[in-house]
Amino acid sequence: MSTSVATRKRRRIPLVDRIALIICGLVLAIAVIGPWIAPHDPYAVNLSQRLLGPGPEHWLGTDINGRDVLSRILTGARTTLLATAVVLAVTVVIGVVVGTLAAVGGRVVDEIIMRITDVGLAVPSIVLALGFAVALGPGIGSAIIAVSVSWWPGYVRLIRTVVRETMQSEFVESAVALGVGRRRLILRHVLPNSLDILYVQVTLDVAAVMLVISGLSFIGVGAQVPSAEWGAMIAAAADNVTSGWWALVFPGLAIAITAIAFSLVGDWLRVLRDPTLKQEN
Amino acid sequence: MKSVLEVDGLTKSYPGASRPAAADVSFKMAEGSALGLVGESGSGKSTTARMIAGLEKPDKGWVVLGGRQIDGLSRRAMQRVRRDMQVVFQDPYSSLNPRMNVEQLVGEGLLVHSIETDRAARRREVERLLGLVGLGHVDLGAYPRSFSGGQRQRLAIARALAVRPKLLICDEPVSSLDVSVQAQVLNLLRDLQSELGLSILFIAHDLAVVRYLCDQVVVMSDGRVVEKGSREQVYGDPQHEYTRDLLAAVPVPDPSHSRRSVTEEK
Repeated sequence: MSTSVATRKRRRIPLVDRIALIICGLVLAIAVIGPWIAPHDPYAVNLSQRLLGPGPEHWLGTDINGRDVLSRILTGARTTLLATAVVLAVTVVIGVVVGTLAAVGGRVVDEIIMRITDVGLAVPSIVLALGFAVALGPGIGSAIIAVSVSWWPGYVRLIRTVVRETMQSEFVESAVALGVGRRRLILRHVLPNSLDILYVQVTLDVAAVMLVISGLSFIGVGAQVPSAEWGAMIAAAADNVTSGWWALVFPGLAIAITAIAFSLVGDWLRVLRDPTLKQEN
Repeated sequence: MKSVLEVDGLTKSYPGASRPAAADVSFKMAEGSALGLVGESGSGKSTTARMIAGLEKPDKGWVVLGGRQIDGLSRRAMQRVRRDMQVVFQDPYSSLNPRMNVEQLVGEGLLVHSIETDRAARRREVERLLGLVGLGHVDLGAYPRSFSGGQRQRLAIARALAVRPKLLICDEPVSSLDVSVQAQVLNLLRDLQSELGLSILFIAHDLAVVRYLCDQVVVMSDGRVVEKGSREQVYGDPQHEYTRDLLAAVPVPDPSHSRRSVTEEK
């Protein structure tokens, strides 16, 4: 009887991960419906209500321009998460295409691609973003391009490694022996058995990319100040942190909680995929 | 008699190895026959099979399939040759793509060799092939994970037979299966051989299995062919000492017949 209880318990999602999953769901929901549930106009400047503390009218207070912080966080979720989603979509597609090419394209192609990724990995995204901000003008677009440019080499390397591993498996050799052509071999046999790892990696990267994008907005090369992007909100509030800490702390909490939640879910997926990582407690 | 397969002087060395994995391997296989390539692990039998199947490039020697030299062909040309030569691998747990269902697995050869491009006709052919290997009852949408080892190996055989090959290379096809299931798969291969006039190149370390299935035997040791001949010659009057040792090591299922020991003989 005790074993059956233990089995049932093991199958259940751990409490922390369940909370993290719920938070991720909530954040994603807010990203979609945030502007409609915001109690105030996130951009309405009202100088008579500047820097009000958290209270019944403005739950999370107002910023230096009298804008409702809660409304701005709810609205800004969309900007931050959309930018993150665009970066991840672009880098995953590049990663799968270029990584597969490196894995199956022969030594010369592999060598060329790997040296390019070395360069990409060597340049920090902040520096790249500063460059793009100068070239294209600061804005969320520049931040997206900059982070994508510095993020894709990681996916190329990941996919290259996994595809090379899958190419060694016996069912791939069996497909070759059957007479399956290269294109079908890669599309039907290799890739479907290689891409599972992306679920984990992408979830883990949501947190990391979000932090970089918010960070870029904070230093002023990402989303610009009136925008309700979380990092930009922190940047704008940093000047009056002593007189209105709430305008800085709450967007910061939004970033931290979202990042932690996605990291936890990513870790949970990773353990789910590879049970040997599970810790006994 | 016409030969379906001829290999001559096949040699393969791997970097870092003290001796070639296969050295100067030569034999001929008559059409419709079953040839057993036997030897212990490391004897070079699998390397030889892989070179014949075009999965490994020989350093020297050639492979002639149905009168045509097939080693050193381009990838595309080799792809077409594979219609005449199929392989059944050792481990049916890893040789079937886990993301493809029965219909896709068995029908893939028909598709990639453009034998049956119509989906409905292909499905009928898949059903016929499944019946042929004794899996007539299975769900076409099922995935390999829902089958036992013996069933998976039958699937692998159906998949290989779909393109109607002249030569079927079986690389230790039963060594990873339960003894009770081994017999079923061997019987299936023997039936298929007589029904379809198939030529089978059978790689095994188990002499009893080869004796049951094969009319020709090639014995390999340390990468070299040490003996070849008909089943009767090799089992009845082995010429090479290694073959005699190998035969003496086979357990005899008859309790009244005492087992000869290798050490006693020496």
